[in-house]
Amino acid sequence: MLEIKDLVTEYGSVKALNGISLLAHEGKITTVIGANGAGKSTLLRTISALEHPHSGSISWKNKSIVGLSPEKIVRLGIAHVPEGHAVISQLSVEENIQMGALFRMRSNKADVRLAIQEIYQLFPRLEERKKQLAGSLSGGERQMLAISRALVSRPSLLLLDEPSLGLAPLVVEQIIQTVNDLCRNTGLTVLLVEQNANTALGVADHGILLSLGTVAADLPAAQMKADVALRAAYLGY
Amino acid sequence: MDIFLSAIFAGTSRGAIYALAALGLVLVWRGAGVVNFAQMGQAMFSTYIASTLIAQNYSYWIAFVVALISGGVLGGLVDLLVMRPLNRKRSSSVLDSPAMRSTVPVIASLGILGVLQAAAGMIWAAEERGFPTPVNSLGLVINGKIMPFTAFDLFVIGIVFVTLLATTFFFKGTGMGLAMRASALNPEVARLSGIRIGLVRTLSWVISGVASSLAGLLVTPSANLSPYTLDLILIIGFTAAVVGGLDSLLGSVIGGFALGLLVSFVNVYDAPEDIFLAILIVLLTVLVIRPQGILGSKEVRRV
Amino acid sequence: MSKASSYGRKNLVISILFTALVFFLSIKLDPYNQGQLSVALMFFIGILSIVLLTGASGQISLGQGALMAVGGFAAALGILNLGLSIWLAIALAVFAALLAGLLLGIAAARLSGPYLAGTTLVIALAIPSLATRFESVFGGDVGLTIDFGNPPAWLTSLMGEVGYEQWQLLATLPFATLALFFTSNILNSRTGRSWRALRDNEVAASLAGMKISETKIFVFVISSGFAGLAGVLYGLRGIVGPSVYPISLSLLLLTGAVLGGIRSILGALIGALLVVFLPDLVEWASASFSPSEQIANYLPAMISSLLLILTVVLNPGGIAHGLHHKKRHH
Repeated sequence: MLEIKDLVTEYGSVKALNGISLLAHEGKITTVIGANGAGKSTLLRTISALEHPHSGSISWKNKSIVGLSPEKIVRLGIAHVPEGHAVISQLSVEENIQMGALFRMRSNKADVRLAIQEIYQLFPRLEERKKQLAGSLSGGERQMLAISRALVSRPSLLLLDEPSLGLAPLVVEQIIQTVNDLCRNTGLTVLLVEQNANTALGVADHGILLSLGTVAADLPAAQMKADVALRAAYLGY
Repeated sequence: MDIFLSAIFAGTSRGAIYALAALGLVLVWRGAGVVNFAQMGQAMFSTYIASTLIAQNYSYWIAFVVALISGGVLGGLVDLLVMRPLNRKRSSSVLDSPAMRSTVPVIASLGILGVLQAAAGMIWAAEERGFPTPVNSLGLVINGKIMPFTAFDLFVIGIVFVTLLATTFFFKGTGMGLAMRASALNPEVARLSGIRIGLVRTLSWVISGVASSLAGLLVTPSANLSPYTLDLILIIGFTAAVVGGLDSLLGSVIGGFALGLLVSFVNVYDAPEDIFLAILIVLLTVLVIRPQGILGSKEVRRV
Repeated sequence: MSKASSYGRKNLVISILFTALVFFLSIKLDPYNQGQLSVALMFFIGILSIVLLTGASGQISLGQGALMAVGGFAAALGILNLGLSIWLAIALAVFAALLAGLLLGIAAARLSGPYLAGTTLVIALAIPSLATRFESVFGGDVGLTIDFGNPPAWLTSLMGEVGYEQWQLLATLPFATLALFFTSNILNSRTGRSWRALRDNEVAASLAGMKISETKIFVFVISSGFAGLAGVLYGLRGIVGPSVYPISLSLLLLTGAVLGGIRSILGALIGALLVVFLPDLVEWASASFSPSEQIANYLPAMISSLLLILTVVLNPGGIAHGLHHKKRHH
C-alpha cells in the first residue's frame, strides 16, 4: 500500500501540494484527477523524489521513502512515467527499453531478457521499430515506449502521468486498456494521473480529486464518475 | 610535390593529436553535458608528472601509465569537487535560466584551468621541458627526402584509432556506455530509470581525463612542455570537435585530422600567423552552415 | 514615467558621487596607485561589457579582449595616420568596436553556451594574430605606440602639477562615469528588461513577439562598444599590440565579472578593483612568510582562479549579490 500523509511540496514560496493525504491499494488502479495546476504532476514527482517534500510522509509497503534518491526509489519497485511521453529521442527504441533495466542487468540478466520479450509481446509495434530512434516514433508509440521503459524494471507500483496527453482517443483507449490488463493480470499497483477524468475513472478502482494542492474528494471511482455536481464544480463538465 | 607530401604527413601527425584532444572533449560532453575548457590543463599537469618521473630515471612506460592514471584521477576530482556541487546549486537564482546553466560550467572549467596552470608553475617553475618519445623519431624517407613523418607519428595514429574503437564500443556496446549517453541526454529520465547519474558523470570525467592526458603525453615530444603550451591544442581540439559534431566520436576524429591538415597547409603554403584566422573561418562556416557538425545528430544541439 | 525618472535621478546622484570619490583619490594616491586605479576603471568599463552581455542577456564571451584590441588598434591608426586627437581617436575606437560587435553578433546570435564560449575564444586568438600578419599596418609583435599625452593647460593651471599617472586616471574617469551612468540606465529601462526576458526564457520571449536574433545582436553591439572603449583607454597607457590584449586579458575580465557579481554594476566595480589590486594585496599579505619567487609569481593567479571556482560553486551571484542579500535581511 502506498500511504501519503499531509504532504506539502513547495516551488519557491508557492505551495504546489498543500497537505495531501491519500492511499493507493495494492493491485488496484487509483486515479488522481483535477484541473491544470491542481498539483497532480507534483504529487508524482514528489513520490519519485524528483521534488523534495517540505513536510509530510510517504510510505510504500509500510516503509518510509522520503529522503531517498530517485535512483533508489526505482530499486524499491516504484517506476515513474513522467508527463510528455518521456523517452530519450536520440536513443533507439531498444536502448530506451534497456535503459530501464540497466540497474538490474548484472544481478538478473535472464529476467531482464525475459522482461524485454514480454514488452515486445505487449507492444509488437515497438519490436518492429526497435532499431529506430525514439524520436522518429508517433506520439502513441512514444507513450508505449515510455511505459515499457518503466515496466522493464518490473515495478510493483507504476506512477503514470497523463498518458493521454496529446494522443488520439483510440490510442488513449488502447494504452489505458493495456495498463488495466497489467493491473488485473499481474497485480501491479497503479497511480494514474489524468486530466481526462472520464477515461481514467472508467478503469480505476478509486478516484482522488485534487484542487489547488489539496484533496477535494476521495471516492470509489464509479461513485465519483456518477457525481455530476462534483465534476461540474471541479472539472467544468 | 615533396612539399605537398610533407604537408600531408605533418598534417596527419598533428591531426592525430587534435583528434585525441577532440575525443576527450566529446567524451565529457556526451557523458556529463559539459565542454571542459580545463581539459588540456589536466593533460599538462599529468604530463609534468610523467616528465618528473622520467627525470628520476623511471622508464617511459611507467611514467606513461602513471600519467594516464593521474589524468583520470584529476578528471574525477574536477567532477567531485567542482561540477557535482555546481549541479546541486542549480536552484540558485543566477543559475535558473537555461542560458546561464550552460554558461556557468564553462566559467568553472576556466577556473580549474587557472588553478592547474598556477599549480604547475609553482611546482615545476614553468621551466620548459623536453619530453621523450617511446619509439624511433627519425623521419620517413621518400625519394631520398626526409619527410616529417616518423615511427612515433605512426604510433600516435595507431593510438588514436585504438581509442576511437574502444570508446565507440564502450558507448554503443556496454550498459555503462548507454547509461552515460542517457544521463547526458536526459538526466531526469535517466534517474527515473534507476541510473546513478552522479556515478556515471564522474566516470565520464575519469575516462575523458585519461584520453586527454594521452593527448598531452603524445603531443609533448614535438612541443616543449610548459604550463601554457597545451592551450592551443585545446582550442584546435574544440574546433575539431565542433566541426565533427560534438556528440560524435568518429566525427571528432575526422574533425581532428581535417584540422591537422588545415593547419599544416596554412603553415606550408601561407603563413603561420594565419592559422587562427583559418581556424576561425572554418569554425564559423561550420556553425553557420551545419551547426550540428559533420556527423553530429541534429537534436543534440539545444539552441 | 515617474518611476523611470526617479531611477534616472538616482543614477545621476550615484554617478556624481562616484566621480567625486575617484577625483578625491586621484589627489590622495601615489603615482603607482593612481596608475593602478586608472587600470581598474578601464577594467570596470570592460567588465560592464560582460555584465551587459552575460549578466543581462545570458550570452557568454571569452573574446572581450579581442574587441578591446579592435578599439585600441582603431585609435592607434587614427592617431598615428590621421593625426586625430585622443578624444576623436576614442570616438573612432568605440565606433570600430561597435562595427566589430555587429559582425560578431551576427555570427554569435545563432550560438549559445559552450559553442559561444569556444567560438569567442578562437576570436580572441585570431584577432590579435592579425597584428602580426599585417605588420606594416599594425606594427607586428611590438605594436603601435600611443599615449594620453600631456595634461591640458587648464587642468594644470587649476590643480598645479599633474603627473602622467594622475592625468591617465583623470582622463579615464569621465568615460568610466559615462559607462556607469549609461549601463544603469539601460539595465533599468524597457530594453534591459527585454534582455533579461531573453536570458530567462528564450521561447517565452519569442512567443511574446521579441525578435530574438536582432535583440542578441543589439546586445553584442552595445557590449562591444564598451569593450572597445576599455580597449582604447588600456592602449593609451603606452602601447597597442598583441601582447597588450592577450587571451588572458579576456579571462581576467571574466574572472572580475564573476567575482564581483555578473549581474551587478557595483559588482563590476568590485571585480575590477579586485583583479587589479589582488597581486599587490597578495604580495603585501605574503610578505611575512616570504615565499620563493617561483611561488610568489603564481600566487595571484592561483588565488583568483580558486576564488573564481569558489564563487561559481558557493555564491554564483558574486560579492555584490552577497552585499544585496545582507542589506535585505538587516
